[in-house]
Amino acid sequence: MHIVVCMKQVPRDNSVKINADLSINAEGIEQIMNLFDEYAVEEALQWNEKLGGKVTVLSLGPDEWKDQIRRALAMGATDSLLLNDPSFAKLDVLGAAKAVAAAIKKLGDVDLVIAGRNSTDDESGAFGPALARALGWAQLTYVGKFLDISDSAKKIVVERHLEEQIETVEAGLPVVATVVKDINEPRYPSLLRIKKVAKVEIPTWGAADLGVSADGTAASITARVPPPPRPKGELVEGADGAEKVRKLVDKLMENQVI
Amino acid sequence: MSNEIWVLIEKARQGENIAAISRELLGKGRQLADASGAPLAALVLGAGVGALAERAFAYGADKAYVVDDPALAQYTTDGFVGAAAALAQKYQPQLVLTGASFQMRDFSGALAAELGVGLAADATNLAIDGDQISATRPSHGGNVVNTLVFGAARPAVVSVRKQSFAEAAEQAGRTGEVLSEPLPAVAIRTKVTNVAPKQGAVNLADASIIVSGGRGLGNAENYFKLIPPLAESVGGAYGASRAVVDAGWVPYEHQVGQTGKTVSPKLYVACGISGAIQHLAGMRTSRTIVAINKDPEAPIFRVASYGVVGDVNELLPLLTNEIKKRASH
Repeated sequence: MHIVVCMKQVPRDNSVKINADLSINAEGIEQIMNLFDEYAVEEALQWNEKLGGKVTVLSLGPDEWKDQIRRALAMGATDSLLLNDPSFAKLDVLGAAKAVAAAIKKLGDVDLVIAGRNSTDDESGAFGPALARALGWAQLTYVGKFLDISDSAKKIVVERHLEEQIETVEAGLPVVATVVKDINEPRYPSLLRIKKVAKVEIPTWGAADLGVSADGTAASITARVPPPPRPKGELVEGADGAEKVRKLVDKLMENQVI
Repeated sequence: MSNEIWVLIEKARQGENIAAISRELLGKGRQLADASGAPLAALVLGAGVGALAERAFAYGADKAYVVDDPALAQYTTDGFVGAAAALAQKYQPQLVLTGASFQMRDFSGALAAELGVGLAADATNLAIDGDQISATRPSHGGNVVNTLVFGAARPAVVSVRKQSFAEAAEQAGRTGEVLSEPLPAVAIRTKVTNVAPKQGAVNLADASIIVSGGRGLGNAENYFKLIPPLAESVGGAYGASRAVVDAGWVPYEHQVGQTGKTVSPKLYVACGISGAIQHLAGMRTSRTIVAINKDPEAPIFRVASYGVVGDVNELLPLLTNEIKKRASH
């Protein structure tokens, strides 16, 4: 069984700034593995322990993303792949999915792709669906539990954890699955393993290797601004707790909030 | 290409009406249609869903494309995207609007990719100006507001966040044209074998009032003693910060923030929550924010409409009582 995990590096928090060219400036913010992708890595490792085979961690991004690829390798991924090309910087989520699909087709023997349900920076949640369409595979999004993956029967059964209901869904492999938070408890890589993978060569493919071109996006960002400031608030003061609370309720009722 | 605007209709979870999000999309769709002289069409997919077309007319649709087929009784990506993509290729709308629930994110992402067109996910506004369609969508936990202009390919696909637009008013007796279409020959590769309600599900996104608790409450016992009763006194739901979810006080279902739920209620009451940027990401667009915290420097006060400095364990029982007292008058 060959499982590919699609992983993205993101800023730990979103206190980002906007550059003049509308790119995002995350300078000074620690870069981490997208939280939802960390669950995807863990899930792939657990199934790999049961089924054997390979777990390839795959990212489309700049060289700096190798840090988080190494973290996934230290967690236990067996293989890695970085898709990096100057032209990729312009890709939107649908374009990125096409490039990743080309890489997965080139790998050839992939049975299952797992990714987080969305990245915590772009937050579109469209990567999994777009990747599945680009590959021509079925998609299983918002998976909260993998009930069974059968290598011999090439079959998968999952629970999709939606807002108010849980669907049990089965499909034939290969599929693209995306996972929600709390599907498992991601392991911490040991110091020993971190050292072991520190010098591992991470294979890198560019646009030419994939035969894709980043020609135009289906929708382009023409403006990026911080959110409008919230109206200035007021401090509710009083001699004691009871007075503060009375005044607060007065204000909420005056403004018909409650 | 036609200039039609399509709204994917969802049925309300309870009752026979269309869902609130569909009424909101028809409200905005009607505005855009009137401004640009375009017809507004409902896209109704499912099994035994004919009546939803009539409901959509009452909320402003001019026509409805209906694919009524037993194979669509359960949502599947292949079934719904297959049906919608075939209709879009045949009738060439300029815009397809959907909700932004998990199921609709699954649908809209796949539909845009299937058609090779642009997508704006979780949009909070959109506009049509001549040939140009643009959408506004927040990213980075609401710290960045992006304007996306769609390229020439149509339809533009936009999934819209709940409560971004006012619901269309119901016009009893309003009718429209129904176009019944067969389900195209698509391979449905996934099989839904069971659908169960989620135990302890809380749809925070639907709540108009949310009372959330954080570490300032001290422990899980205080959380349950104080937060649900206050939420109940104002008819709201209760949420939590990531810190207390990770500490195991409250299930993940209740988490508001970057890796939990994004909510935008009429009133958000943050109790003992300091206001880490990841939490603010999930609630900063709430209409009114009340913050109660003993640390006057807590970042939550920077987004609060009303701030009260004090110990939540003292103030919350007083607040619950005060609200109950007023309600009984």
